[in-house]
Amino acid sequence: MANYYDIDDILAEEEMVPAIFQESAYGVGLLESSDDTNMVEAGSKAELPFWLSCDLHGRGVISIDLPPWFRRDSRTRKEIGADAAHVDLRSRCQYFYELGLKIAPLVGDKTIGPFLLVAFQTRYKEVLVKAHTATPAVAPKYLTLLTNEEAKLYEVGQSSTAAFKKWRMGGPRLQKASILGRKRKPIK
Amino acid sequence: MDGQSDPQASTFSAAELEFVAEDEMIEIVPNMRMDPLDLICGKFGPFMPQIVTQVPIWLAIALKKRGKCTIRPPEWIAVEKLTQVLEAERDSEKFQPLPFHYVEISRLLFDIASDDIPDIYMVRSLIEDIKDVRFHKIGAGLEIISKERTYALRLKNLSAMEANIVRPFVTRALQTFYKLSSPEMIQDSGSVSDRQPQTTDRGPRLAVADAIGYPLEQTEAAYCSSAYVGLILRPTNTVSHHNKFWKAEYISVVYLKS
Repeated sequence: MANYYDIDDILAEEEMVPAIFQESAYGVGLLESSDDTNMVEAGSKAELPFWLSCDLHGRGVISIDLPPWFRRDSRTRKEIGADAAHVDLRSRCQYFYELGLKIAPLVGDKTIGPFLLVAFQTRYKEVLVKAHTATPAVAPKYLTLLTNEEAKLYEVGQSSTAAFKKWRMGGPRLQKASILGRKRKPIK
Repeated sequence: MDGQSDPQASTFSAAELEFVAEDEMIEIVPNMRMDPLDLICGKFGPFMPQIVTQVPIWLAIALKKRGKCTIRPPEWIAVEKLTQVLEAERDSEKFQPLPFHYVEISRLLFDIASDDIPDIYMVRSLIEDIKDVRFHKIGAGLEIISKERTYALRLKNLSAMEANIVRPFVTRALQTFYKLSSPEMIQDSGSVSDRQPQTTDRGPRLAVADAIGYPLEQTEAAYCSSAYVGLILRPTNTVSHHNKFWKAEYISVVYLKS
């Protein structure tokens, strides 16, 4: 509940998280639509949005499983260990860091924190270089790899550099209103 | 905290910085006779032909545009001086002292008073070079953030424009790093040893990444002894009465996260 009105915080909680039901639940068949019974049996797995699973976890109804990209020995972890800067995190989880921060205390996995930090440290350098040097033409390809947080960072860097360049290139200091200096239409 | 979490909120536009820079003083040589101007920001003049006098840049520009004076370029806009600065800038890690508004002032003078600056082409390209070298250094300096646990960043002799360009990026990056390296997330865990060496054992102590190797002075260190996220910039060679204003502005970027 870091920031109640922060839209990114809200969206981050929409991310799906795998969960295992500890108890049977009636009337929630839509969560796991395998049959028509409209119930979920104990021990079955379902994907729930984080905000829901967080609450249910608190009541002891479900236990939260880690999404694949946070698991130990997962491919994502190995890839990040190898070359974090070029891992496509966006396709895995747009709110990689936010979700990681939220889920780690629930699951009690202490390796997630350092893992997130290392990932961001390595990727930060790449964002830093690209944001202040890359031309906008190159950007779209690179942007598809970034998570939401990184993309925003990239954009603020890019936009302030662009604004400076625009100012330096100059042009007229006083902008002329479009209505001025228009030629009078010839009267027919 | 809420108001400042938006990095855009603490940014000036380049044109605004230029406006502020116009309050710096500059020497002019009038070619007309006029009584002193008694303005809110001070008394300027009297204006006598061929007698040098000090006025703010905005006034100098206004007079210059009317053909009432010639502008005396400041000392630092001289080929020898700039060449020296450029050399030093290339050789050393540190930023060379230049006027706080050197980017803005040089552009204003190039635009308005290009006939008053000797060797204008040389000067122009030298300033461009200096700026490029310094930007490159800033980039290198910002990489430090990722290596150490950083809550504040101090770049000595950084100019207004340079600081303004990196500010949104830096504050945002520091914010994210702060979130990710909060003590709850980074606890002592034995199983991280297979990763890169961590800075996990540092605790909440203040660690300052200093791009040029100056430790924070006592006062500033005390100021950010609890966990701050932000960018401390202290213009050291500003002469105008805006000095305090700038200090206040920059330190306000540093905000408390207790």
